[in-house]
Amino acid sequence: MSDDRELRKGSAEVLILALLEERDRHGYEIARLIDERSNGALKFHVASLYPTLYRLERRGLIHGRWVEKAGARRRRFYRLTADGQHALDAQRRSWSAFFAALNRVARIRHA
Amino acid sequence: MPDSPPPDDSGPGFGAAGWKALVRARLAPLDVDPARASDIVDELAQHVAQHYADLVASGTPERAAMETALAPLDDPARIAAEIARADRPRKAAPAPPAGSGSVIEDVARDLRYAARLLMRAPGFAAVAIVTLALGIGANTAIFSVVNSVLLRPLPYADPDRIVLVGDREKDASAGNVGFITFLDWRDRSHAFDQLAMIRSWQTTLVTDAGPERIAGMRVSSNFFRMLGVAPAIGRDFRSEEDNPNDWRVVLISDGLWRRRFNADASIVGRVLTMNDRQFSVIGVMPRTFEPLISEHFYQPAEIWSLVGYDRTSTFACRGCQHLKAIARIKPRVSIEAARLDIDAVQAQLRHEYPQEYAQETMTVVPIGEELTGRVRPALAVLTGAVVVVLLIACANIANLLLARVAARERDLALRTALGASRSRLVRQLLAESVLLALAGGCAGVFLSAIGVPVLTRLAPASMSRLAEAHVDARAIAFSAALSLGTALVFGLIPAIRASRVNLLEPLHVDARRTARAPTSLSRRLLVAADVALAVILIVAAGLMIKSVERLIGVSPGFDPDGVLTMQISMVGQKYATDPPVVATTDRILEKMRALPGVDAAAAAGQIPLSGNHDCWGMHVEGRRVTPEDLCVERYSVTPDYFSVMRIPLKRGRLFTDHDRDGTEQMILLGEETARALWPNDDPIGRHVRIGDGTKGPWRTIVGIVGDVRHQALAAPPTPQMYTPQAQLTDSFVTIVIRSYMDPTILAGEARRAIWSVANDVPIYEVAPLTDLVSRSVGPRRFLMLLLETFGAVALLMTAIGLYGAISYSVAERTREIGIRAALGASRADIARLVARSGLATVLAGLAAGIIGAAAVTRFLEGSLYGVTATDPGTFAAAVGVLFAVTLAAHGIPLVRALRVDPAIALRDE
Repeated sequence: MSDDRELRKGSAEVLILALLEERDRHGYEIARLIDERSNGALKFHVASLYPTLYRLERRGLIHGRWVEKAGARRRRFYRLTADGQHALDAQRRSWSAFFAALNRVARIRHA
Repeated sequence: MPDSPPPDDSGPGFGAAGWKALVRARLAPLDVDPARASDIVDELAQHVAQHYADLVASGTPERAAMETALAPLDDPARIAAEIARADRPRKAAPAPPAGSGSVIEDVARDLRYAARLLMRAPGFAAVAIVTLALGIGANTAIFSVVNSVLLRPLPYADPDRIVLVGDREKDASAGNVGFITFLDWRDRSHAFDQLAMIRSWQTTLVTDAGPERIAGMRVSSNFFRMLGVAPAIGRDFRSEEDNPNDWRVVLISDGLWRRRFNADASIVGRVLTMNDRQFSVIGVMPRTFEPLISEHFYQPAEIWSLVGYDRTSTFACRGCQHLKAIARIKPRVSIEAARLDIDAVQAQLRHEYPQEYAQETMTVVPIGEELTGRVRPALAVLTGAVVVVLLIACANIANLLLARVAARERDLALRTALGASRSRLVRQLLAESVLLALAGGCAGVFLSAIGVPVLTRLAPASMSRLAEAHVDARAIAFSAALSLGTALVFGLIPAIRASRVNLLEPLHVDARRTARAPTSLSRRLLVAADVALAVILIVAAGLMIKSVERLIGVSPGFDPDGVLTMQISMVGQKYATDPPVVATTDRILEKMRALPGVDAAAAAGQIPLSGNHDCWGMHVEGRRVTPEDLCVERYSVTPDYFSVMRIPLKRGRLFTDHDRDGTEQMILLGEETARALWPNDDPIGRHVRIGDGTKGPWRTIVGIVGDVRHQALAAPPTPQMYTPQAQLTDSFVTIVIRSYMDPTILAGEARRAIWSVANDVPIYEVAPLTDLVSRSVGPRRFLMLLLETFGAVALLMTAIGLYGAISYSVAERTREIGIRAALGASRADIARLVARSGLATVLAGLAAGIIGAAAVTRFLEGSLYGVTATDPGTFAAAVGVLFAVTLAAHGIPLVRALRVDPAIALRDE
C-alpha cells in the first residue's frame, strides 16, 4: 500500500478513538500511548496529532475540555462522544473487512 | 541554560510562557479567532514541554531533547494551515443542528478544500479553466451582441405597438406609400392610434466650419409623439407647421448638437442654412434617442424636418411611393387585425382608383422586426455555434474530471471507509467543478470584454444596433449563471460516478487494471460527443467559407479594380435647374481627367452596390400601360461611365457627348430588361416611356449593355436602364474615376479638383469601388469569420479532449502494454492497440456529427451562396480535418506506449 497521507490520517482517527474509548486523555498521552503500544511503529507528533484531534472534535466524535487541577497547569482532556463511539464501531467493522480482504488476497495474516 | 529543569512541564529556564512563546514563534499565524489560537498554542506548548521533560527524564541531553521535541514544528506554514483547517471558530453557544451558518461553513470549507486540490494539479486546472474561458467567453460575447441587438428594448414608448405599414414587398418588408394614399389610410383605418410618415432627406449644412452633408428625415408632425419621445431641449413639431410654407423647422440629434454646435444651450431659435434655405432649430433630441436604421431603410438621421406637403404638392400623388408609413397600433389590437384593417382600406382605394393601384397585399411589420430582422438569422446561427462550443467545453471538462476521479478512486474509497458520507463526497467534487467554472467564468468575461469591441468593429454597418454592444451587468450575470450551470452539467457526472465507488475494490491490489474495460463508457461517450459537436461547427464554418469564396468569385458585371467613387450633391438655388448641374458636372469631370494617373472619369446618378435604388416603371410604345409594368433600375450617366466601369456593350451603341438636352431622348437597356420586354425581338430602335406611362417624352433604345449586380453580389441582376445625365439630370451624383494607380491615392487631388470648380458642393462617401463590392459580402464575411473562429476553438478543444482521453487510456493500460510487449507483441501490435482504444469512439463521433450537421446546417441556408447546406465536399473536408486531429492526438500517447519498458510496466504496482 502506498504511503498515503489519507490512509495515515484514517488510521490515526481510529487509533485515537480507540484510545479514548478506554478513558479521557490529553494529547501528549495519546501520542505516547500510540508510540508505546505499537512498539514505536506508529508515531504521531504534534504536527499530525492535533489537526486530527481538532478535526475529530469538529465532527463531534470527541469532545475536548480544559481541566485544572490544584498545583498543576490546566490541560485539555478529550472524551469520546456517543457519535464517536458509533464511528469507532463502524470503522472497526470497515477495517476488519479490509484486513480480511487483504488477508484473502495478499495473505497478510493478522498476528 | 539552568542547571536543573523545573518540575512538571516547564522548559529549561523558562516556564509555560516560555514554551508557549517558543511554539508561537515556530508557528505561522493561525487563521482562527485569537482566543482559540491562544488555546491551541497553549495545548501544543504543553505537548512539546512534556515531551521535552520525558526525554530529559529518560537521560537525553537537554539540547538534543529540545531539538527532538521541537522538530515536528519545522514546517510552520503547513502545520498552521492544517490546524486552522481542522479547527473551526469556537461558538459561544452549542451550534444548532444544521443551521444556515453551518451550511455556509461547510460550503466554504468544501470550496477551500477544492481550491487546494486544484492548486496541487495546476496543469489540469489550467486546461480546464482555459477551456471554460473559451466556452463562456464566446457565449458572453454573443450574448452581449444578442442583448444589444434583440433584447435591449427600443427606446420608444411601448415599442411593441409600433409598426411599419405598406404593401408587402418580395422580402416581406413593408413598401412605400404616396402622400394622398397615406392621408386616406389615416382617415379610413381604425386599428391605429397614430399614423405618421417619414421620408429620407439628405441635406447640406453650411456653417463657418464648411459644408457637411447630413443624413436626415422628413417626418409628419406627429412622428415623435407617435414614438413617445420628446425633445430634450426645445419643443416638438406642431401640426400647423406641416405645410408647404411653414415646414422649415428642424429638430437635431444630440450628436449633431455636440459636434457642430458645441452643445450650445441657446441653440433653439438659431437659423441654419441648408441647401440655400433657412431652417430654424426648435429643439434637440435626447442622447438616448435611437434613429430608425435598417438595411433597406435610411441612414442614421441626425436632423429632422417636416414632410410639408399638401394635396397639390408635386410629389403628393397616390402613386408617388416615396414615403414610409409608421404607426402605433391601438392597445389590444393584434398585428393581424391591423393588417386586415389596412388591407380593407387599400382594397377600397383600389376599387375607387383602379388606375392608381396594382393588385397588392398589405403588410404590417413590427418595428423591432424591421430593424433587426436581417440580423436575426445570423445571430441565431452564432448563438447555436457558441452553445456548441460550450457543450464541447463541458464534455471536455467532464472527461478530465472523470479521469481525475478515476485516479483518486482509492482515496475516495478510503474516505468512504473512514466514514465520509457519499453526499459529502459528491459535494466536495461539485465544489471543485464550481470553483473551476467560476475561474473559467471570470476569464471568459475578460475574454469577451476584449472580444466584443473587435466584434463590433468587424460587423457590417448594416447590422443595426450592433455597434452599441458591450459587456454589461446583464452579460456578466448571464455568464455567472452560465458558469454555475456548466459546473453542474460537467461536475455532476463525475461526482455521481465517484460516489458509487466500490468501497473495497480500489483498495485491492490492482490486478483489475488488465482485466477491466480500459475506458469507461461515459468517457467514451463524452469524447464521441466532442467529436460530433466539432464536426457540426466545422461543417458550418466550411459552408460559410465556401459561400464567401463563391460570392467573391461572382462577377458583379463591372470591374471594380482601380476605380475611386465619391458622391457629391448639387442642391440649392444655384442648381435649381438642370443646365448648371450638367455644366458643373462636365467641368468637374474635365478637371478629373486632367489629374495625373486618371484614365477616365464619369458621373452617374447612382452606382451598383451603393445601397441606392431608383426603380422606374418602363412602358413600351404600343402596349397598354398598367401599374404592373416592369420596374427598371435607372442610372443617369455621362458617356464615359461604361468605360470607367468596364460594363460591356452587347449590341447597338453607347451614349456620346451629342446626346444632350434638346436632341432625341436616348436610352440603353440592360440585357435582363431587353429579355423581359422583348423576349423574341430586337429592342433597338423601339420607344419607351419611363416613370409616368401617360406623358413625357418617348425615348429611343440605342443599345444593350451587360447587366450589373445592383442590390447585392448574391442577388441576381435586376432589370436595368441607362439615360444620359445631360437629358435626365440627377443632382445627387457619384463621380467614378478609373486610374492605373491605387485609386485611394487620388482622393485628395480629386477633392481639390471638385472644390476648384464648385466650393459649395459637399463631397462624401469617398471610397474605392472595391469597398462597395466587399461591403456587399460583409454580413456573410462577418458570419464566416465568427464561425471560423468558433470552429477553430472547437477543433482545439476537441484535440485537447482527445489527447487527454487517449493519453489517459494509454497510461491506464501501461501494465497491459508492458505484458503484451513482454509476451512478444510487435510495435505494430501495440500501435494497433492504442489506435483501437480511441478510433472506434472517434468514428462513432464522426458519424453522429455528420448526421447532426445535416440536420442543423439548414438553419444556415439563408446565409449560404452557391453551396447547398449538405454540400458533400464540405462534409468530407470537415471529417478529414477531424480525422487528422484525431491522428495528431494519438501521436504523443502512441510514442509513449511504444517506449513502455516491459519490466517497468510489470513493477508498476
